[in-house]
Amino acid sequence: MKRISNAVTSLKGGVARSKRLLAVLIVAVVLAPTALRADGIGDILSLFHTITSTLQGPIGEALSEMRKVSAAVNNFRQQIIWPLALINQTRSFVSATRARYTGLMSQIEGIKNNSATLALPMQLESMFRGAQSGSIGQIPSLYTQVYQPVALAGIAQPVQRNLMDIDDAMSMDSLKTAMVSDQTTQGMLTLADSLEQQAMTAAPGSASMVTAQARVADLETQAQLAKMLAAQLRQEATKLAHQNALLKQRSVATQSLQNQIQQVLAHP
Amino acid sequence: MNRLTLSRLWKFLRNAVAALCGLVIVIALLPSKARSQLGLDPCCAMMQVGLNTISGLLRNSVAMPLGSIQQSQQQSANFEQQVVFPMAAISQARNMALQFEGQFVQMRQLFQLPVASATLPMPQMLEQSLLSGNPGAMPQITSSYYSLYGAVMPPANAPQPVRNMVDMADAEAQAAMKKAVEIDALANLELQAAEQINQQLQTTAPGTSTILEAETAAWLVRANAYTQSAMAELVRVRSIELANSSGQLKFSASHAATLQTTGSQVLQQGVQ
Repeated sequence: MKRISNAVTSLKGGVARSKRLLAVLIVAVVLAPTALRADGIGDILSLFHTITSTLQGPIGEALSEMRKVSAAVNNFRQQIIWPLALINQTRSFVSATRARYTGLMSQIEGIKNNSATLALPMQLESMFRGAQSGSIGQIPSLYTQVYQPVALAGIAQPVQRNLMDIDDAMSMDSLKTAMVSDQTTQGMLTLADSLEQQAMTAAPGSASMVTAQARVADLETQAQLAKMLAAQLRQEATKLAHQNALLKQRSVATQSLQNQIQQVLAHP
Repeated sequence: MNRLTLSRLWKFLRNAVAALCGLVIVIALLPSKARSQLGLDPCCAMMQVGLNTISGLLRNSVAMPLGSIQQSQQQSANFEQQVVFPMAAISQARNMALQFEGQFVQMRQLFQLPVASATLPMPQMLEQSLLSGNPGAMPQITSSYYSLYGAVMPPANAPQPVRNMVDMADAEAQAAMKKAVEIDALANLELQAAEQINQQLQTTAPGTSTILEAETAAWLVRANAYTQSAMAELVRVRSIELANSSGQLKFSASHAATLQTTGSQVLQQGVQ
């Protein structure tokens, strides 16, 4: 009986041990990724294949193309658009052009056109060709010395005196404006020289700035030219008005003479 | 008591050994890192080959082209910075605009110097209007003009053709004077615009200077148009002047013929 009891007890212990062992085995089987490992190797190989084909194909080829394009663009810029040799050659050309023409042009500019032979005309001519705006105050006195002042009130009719005065005024105004214009012309020539010097050392990227500057100077010149044209218009208009005023006077005088002749003929 | 204790101790040890065995089996079955590092798994070799291939591809197919591109772009950047857009040349161009500003102001001031020279009241009034550069002074030009040069003769004082000619010449002379005032005013505006554009040039960049160049070019076209307009007015003044000379010659010829006829008639009457 005791043996039977011991055997039963031993069997129960064995069953309990087997249960524990079974539990450990189940946990081990569940945790062991044996099948998954087999699948993972296939996936990894497939992934490697995908990565290598992507690196060789889309990425590698695209980068290779980018390299070619980048090199081509670089070469195009350096050899076609802005070749350094041509840049230097162009600068040399500007320098040579400047050297070739500046002296000749200065000589032509320096030629004096003064032609008066008598003392007063020489003074006046020298003054209005001097290109010194500071001297315009001396023009009226020299002008009056050469062309005489407006006739006195008792010597000429008021209409004639007014005509003389406005003619003299427009003439002197234009002479003064011409003096100012000559001076600004000198300034403009200096600016043109500066622009040319700048062009000699300009880079392709800064040349547009120099060009813009030249355009602004050009606009200044145009404005000054317009002022000279305005002076010429005033002169021409005054001349026409003067001729017209004389025509009016002659017409009145002729009518008066006609009336007088008719009166004489009517009363012989 | 001792036996019971020993029995419990034996059970505990037996269970502990069983658990340890189970744990060893589990650890042995798990794909632990230690095993991979030891190179015991065959897939590790494949991974090594694959990674080496990828590394080689990254070096040859990716890194080399990227390095080449970087080198090319660096070269391009250096070229642009040193040859095409050197900072020194850009600064030099900006400084030139600064230097020009003073000269432009000086030129504008020169053209503002007073040049009026008339001495009598009426010529002074007309001259003041003509030199004002003020388009608002147009009505004053008309009144000053007629005060100075007189109006068209009344019908009793001159034949109608002569009056027409005189009126036409007055009209053109006044128009030319008014145009001169307009041109002066426009030229002043052009000078102001030139100075403003020049100020803008002092801070411009190579990329934006072309915009300013375009703006200045537009102003130049405008200025040329105004100059052309002034030239047209000048041509008209001279045309009217020429027409006046022609008209006077015609009148002289007509008057001479009339005088000859009248003289002949008078002489014939005297003979009879």
